[in-house]
Amino acid sequence: MSALSTLALAASSIIERPLRSILTSLGIVIGVAAVYAMLALGEGAKKQVEESLNSINTRTMQVWQDWGRRRSSQSRPAMPFTEQDVKELRAINGVFAATGTLTGRSYTIATASNDVSGNFLGVDPDQLKATGGEMVMGENISYADIETRRPVAVISEGIQRRLFDGQNPLGQTIKVNNIAFTVKGVTSKPDSDISFGNDDTFVWAPITVARERVLGGNSFIQNHVSNIRVVGEIGTNLDTIEEEMNIILRRSRDLKVGAPPDYRIFSSRGWRQKAAEDTKALSFLLAAMGAISLIVGGVGVMNIMLVSVTERTREIGLRMALGAKKSNIMSQFLTEALLLCILSGFVGLAAGFYASKLAMETMDVQLVFSPSVALISFGSALLIGVVFGFLPARRAAKLNPIEALRHE
Amino acid sequence: MADAVLPEDGQDKPVTKGTSRNTALISCRDLTKIYKMGQSEVRALDGVDLDIMEGDFVAIIGSSGSGKSTLMNMLGALDQPTSGIVTINGENVGTMKSKKLAQFRNRTIGFVFQQFQLLPKKSARKNVELPLQYRKPKPPDARAKARQALELVGLGDRTDHRPTELSGGQQQRVAIARALAGEPKVLLADEPTGALDSKTSEDIMALMTELNQKGITIIVITHEDEVAAYAQRVIEFKDGHIISDRRNDVAAA
Repeated sequence: MSALSTLALAASSIIERPLRSILTSLGIVIGVAAVYAMLALGEGAKKQVEESLNSINTRTMQVWQDWGRRRSSQSRPAMPFTEQDVKELRAINGVFAATGTLTGRSYTIATASNDVSGNFLGVDPDQLKATGGEMVMGENISYADIETRRPVAVISEGIQRRLFDGQNPLGQTIKVNNIAFTVKGVTSKPDSDISFGNDDTFVWAPITVARERVLGGNSFIQNHVSNIRVVGEIGTNLDTIEEEMNIILRRSRDLKVGAPPDYRIFSSRGWRQKAAEDTKALSFLLAAMGAISLIVGGVGVMNIMLVSVTERTREIGLRMALGAKKSNIMSQFLTEALLLCILSGFVGLAAGFYASKLAMETMDVQLVFSPSVALISFGSALLIGVVFGFLPARRAAKLNPIEALRHE
Repeated sequence: MADAVLPEDGQDKPVTKGTSRNTALISCRDLTKIYKMGQSEVRALDGVDLDIMEGDFVAIIGSSGSGKSTLMNMLGALDQPTSGIVTINGENVGTMKSKKLAQFRNRTIGFVFQQFQLLPKKSARKNVELPLQYRKPKPPDARAKARQALELVGLGDRTDHRPTELSGGQQQRVAIARALAGEPKVLLADEPTGALDSKTSEDIMALMTELNQKGITIIVITHEDEVAAYAQRVIEFKDGHIISDRRNDVAAA
């Protein structure tokens, strides 16, 4: 019997029992739809996680002095960080930006006619990269500004709006603590969640100028900074960077081997990675549920095929008497199961596609529609057809024609 | 129904015409079939010797359990003997593998069953085409052959009817057409009138006689003497043995 007539035979036997075929295929339809939707959701979650892990927030490590240590009279006070530390941290392989900040909160920033309260920060050029912001106009603070102690400032868009009514502030003068700064740039709101005073209203000045003329120096250390932020490049191992940071900081602070550090490194990547793993676990769970419903559907197909073989025992006997080989009978029933699963697979794919589209629109979940996802869910339907169609088909092929013909 | 239109031209009929009426088409030698029922053995056939000539019309009679059905299964290549030899059309059925048996049934045997065994959801033509579906390669003129076979049994105008739309006699005619479509060497009918009333039975047997006159070898298994009366030769079985084998002069004449 040709493959085409086997297929036609399978199709006609599915069509001849429409209700049964629909009910049988329902399990596979639901299974394929579930697998498809779950995989699409899983892919979307994976993408979201990747984006989150690559975000500047995850890649940022903050270095602070360990304030808690000061309470103990036995230990020496925590040493402030210096510009030298920042320079060395910046040289670590895989560091995207390292910036030291001198923070001054709630300073009055004034023009001749107007004033506003904001944060005044002494910064280096890497501050811009570390915040993830961009220059809206003008230029960033440069190393030359720091070296030559130019009284220049970069202001936030919030300051620009409040002090200059959104007009071009470049070249204008602002005063902080009665010290005049010339505005050389405007920067956007930072991308990073970790603001450190980089909220909506802030002014950046070269760190040397800020330290010497506004914020005041440290009595013991000349070039101190309040805190340091180190941002790793996308894809680098942040743990190795953190190890190198520890080596550099311990050396610069002359910590003995085994002595507890007098600083702390904070990072959000721990819980972010945890969240990513949770999402992965969730999507795995969902896919497993889809797979289970597919298997249940497959058992349904097998059950119906077994019933069908029993019901059509006489037909099988007849076909054998008329010259059907065992292989003909086998392929007849296998093709029928397979065709049923393929048809259900198509319906399931369509159902899964629309269901996940609906989920995306109503639940604000990001879904990824990829051909590989469709292929996997469709392929699993095919596999189900072969696996669960095999046993009934073999049973049919093994029938004895004499007994089959006499079957009531 | 028996006087339905039959093709006049004898040349391209889908039937096998015997070249010589004296060749043994089927021959059984010391044919024995033993069924094991737990501890005991049942000798359904016990050393049967039998020759059936090409073009013969043979009735095999006997009560149930006489071994006639077992013989039918052997002759139809549905079963294989425990010992002895069955040769049909020069081929030894006893040594064939399952695949070869299927092919053999397809090409050499045409079955007619008591319960017709038609596929209820397929048209008469589709039912008749069924044996050709399993022939390799499938004859390109399967459709035409099926139509011809239906015409031969007088159902040329019922090709698109489903079995449920036909009477019992018509259904059996479709079954006979199906048996003929594959142009077999022998038509093997197992109680072909068992499910029919006496008038329809007569029609069917008349058709069989007609077909036999066209040269088809026919073997009918029956327990009805009225049916056996149509055959040229009547073989009676009892307990796995042939107890009588006689020529039926009335029918042969």
